[in-house]
Amino acid sequence: MTVDRILGVGAILTAIPVAAAAWGFGVGTPKSPGAGFWPLLVVAAMAGLGVWLIVHPSREGVAAAVPESRWGRLWIALGTMAFYAAALNSLGFPLATVLLLLVQLRCVEGRPWRSSAWIAVLATLVSFVLFRVLLKVPLPVGVISLPKGW
Amino acid sequence: MDTIGSLFHGFAVALTPGNLLAVLLGSIIGTVIGVLPGLGPTASIALLLPVTIGMDMVPALIMLAGIYYGAMYGGSTTSILVNIPGEAASVVTCIDGYQMAKDGRAGAALGMSAFGSFVGGTVSVVAVMLISPFLAETALKFGAPEMFSLLFFAFTCIGGLTGKSRGRGLLMACVGLLLGTIGTDDIQGVDRFVFGTLYLRDGIGLVPLAMGLFGMGEILYNIEKRAEAGSALETPTSLLPTLQDWKYSIWPMLRGSALGFGIGVLPGGMPAVASLLSYAVEKRVSKRPEAFGHGAIEAVAGPETANNAATAGGFVPLLTLGIPTNSVLALMLAAMMLHGVTPGPLLLLKWPDVFWGVIASMYIGNAMLLVLNLPMIGLFVQILKVPYQILSPLIIMFVLLGAYALNNSTVDVLATILFGIAGYLMKRFNIEPAPLVLAFVLGPMLENNLSKALIMARGDALPFFFGRPISATLLTLAILVLLYPLVRAGWRWAATGRLAQR
Repeated sequence: MTVDRILGVGAILTAIPVAAAAWGFGVGTPKSPGAGFWPLLVVAAMAGLGVWLIVHPSREGVAAAVPESRWGRLWIALGTMAFYAAALNSLGFPLATVLLLLVQLRCVEGRPWRSSAWIAVLATLVSFVLFRVLLKVPLPVGVISLPKGW
Repeated sequence: MDTIGSLFHGFAVALTPGNLLAVLLGSIIGTVIGVLPGLGPTASIALLLPVTIGMDMVPALIMLAGIYYGAMYGGSTTSILVNIPGEAASVVTCIDGYQMAKDGRAGAALGMSAFGSFVGGTVSVVAVMLISPFLAETALKFGAPEMFSLLFFAFTCIGGLTGKSRGRGLLMACVGLLLGTIGTDDIQGVDRFVFGTLYLRDGIGLVPLAMGLFGMGEILYNIEKRAEAGSALETPTSLLPTLQDWKYSIWPMLRGSALGFGIGVLPGGMPAVASLLSYAVEKRVSKRPEAFGHGAIEAVAGPETANNAATAGGFVPLLTLGIPTNSVLALMLAAMMLHGVTPGPLLLLKWPDVFWGVIASMYIGNAMLLVLNLPMIGLFVQILKVPYQILSPLIIMFVLLGAYALNNSTVDVLATILFGIAGYLMKRFNIEPAPLVLAFVLGPMLENNLSKALIMARGDALPFFFGRPISATLLTLAILVLLYPLVRAGWRWAATGRLAQR
């Protein structure tokens, strides 16, 4: 199955529930279009393009599968980012960012522990000073305590 | 006082030490926020508005204007170097700018982007000065039907950004339009596709979407692609554009200036629309359209010029009619009113220092930005010499930090990661993300203006749209753009038939 055909089927499968939801918002009349008018117009075009892609697909097939060894790095990268999003408020920006960078540098990019550690700490410190102290972005500090005025 | 005399008066105002400092500060702050992901000019001006209350009126306005056009200068830097658009207007720059960086030509791309921004900004300021009153009147004739027709025309030009497959690109544009409908509907106030969540009521943010699809998607793809850690980008070979680059770029810059200024003057005419149209026009008129998408320098020069020209163009309706054409200019209007200045036809008479001082400061600011940015190119391209194993985690950190800084919300961080996964999949399956992002930007404006125009038409939509000269012209152009591939296919088919007969 080609990429275009997969996209075409996906577009049609998405269009059906979205069209139903748009109908529920109220389509209105051409004189007074409702909230569902525009989404319905868009999914109609989407479904049309889906059919067109199924009928006239380009020959390009689905890309080759990713070797298992590389999946590992991808999952670690994504897992660390998800952890970062979840732990940012509770751990605070400095600690969460050091951990994020440390894992990315060491486990994803394969840097030595020592250089990973100092890059992680230095980059966190610079970005913290730039955003929190200079640009006054209220980054969460979490478990660490800061000097007055920071 | 004639225009030249007034301009000299403006320079006398802008060249005082305090005002010069305001231009410099505004330009530097603007460049920094343009470079940093997540901190757009709207948020920065909103943050700095209270600070300006304590300042004198003229330097305050000069500084805020500097932040706006400075951000447009800076926005292209991250697009070119790391494929992260700093602003919506820089999305188009990602396509060829990043490709140039991959080929070791980041310096030329950054240089041409700086020169283009300078040309666009300066030409536009001259136009603001000379033809403001006339253009402001014409811009007022742009009602909802004209605006819909213009946006629809811009939308049809997205076809030029679709990469290898037009069908796939157009489908992605539809996905962008659909994502743009998420949130509370502007006209009816109905919540659409929010699934009961508070976050989605405001709609999906442009920054998580653009940074996720472009920057994060690229990073994840490189993590997967590199068997051994190494560089994903070529080390830059030259720092400035070559003579050939100038030959390719000079006309796109001039066309971009005119187009950008014209779009900027219109209500709702965003720099992003200007850069998109410029890309489409340049691809259409280019002698080497096949180079677009593969690192064509004119595809960086034209859009970058256009978005800066549109930025300055937006000051025409603001200064002469008191109408802000986008959210940044609405904040500028608020700043003027806070200082007791009412923009409008009387601004020139009552507060000539403000009008001419701001105009003259924009000349100085543009020159200052060029002088500041050109030496910075050498510094910026040094970033590409940092091993990608170190650069990649740092980009991830800045993208996530930028996403958080938007609303101080981890939901934006999560949204960026999710769009990053989508961007990775799109990259893997050769699907260009630019049509999706640009359709997402244009979608809500298209819908809003279509709804208003249909209400105005009272059921007779076609005669209404085609009975108005500007709207009819723009819709005809859009139809021609849509039909062009069919006509071309017909010509080819006819030509093949004739050859076969011979």
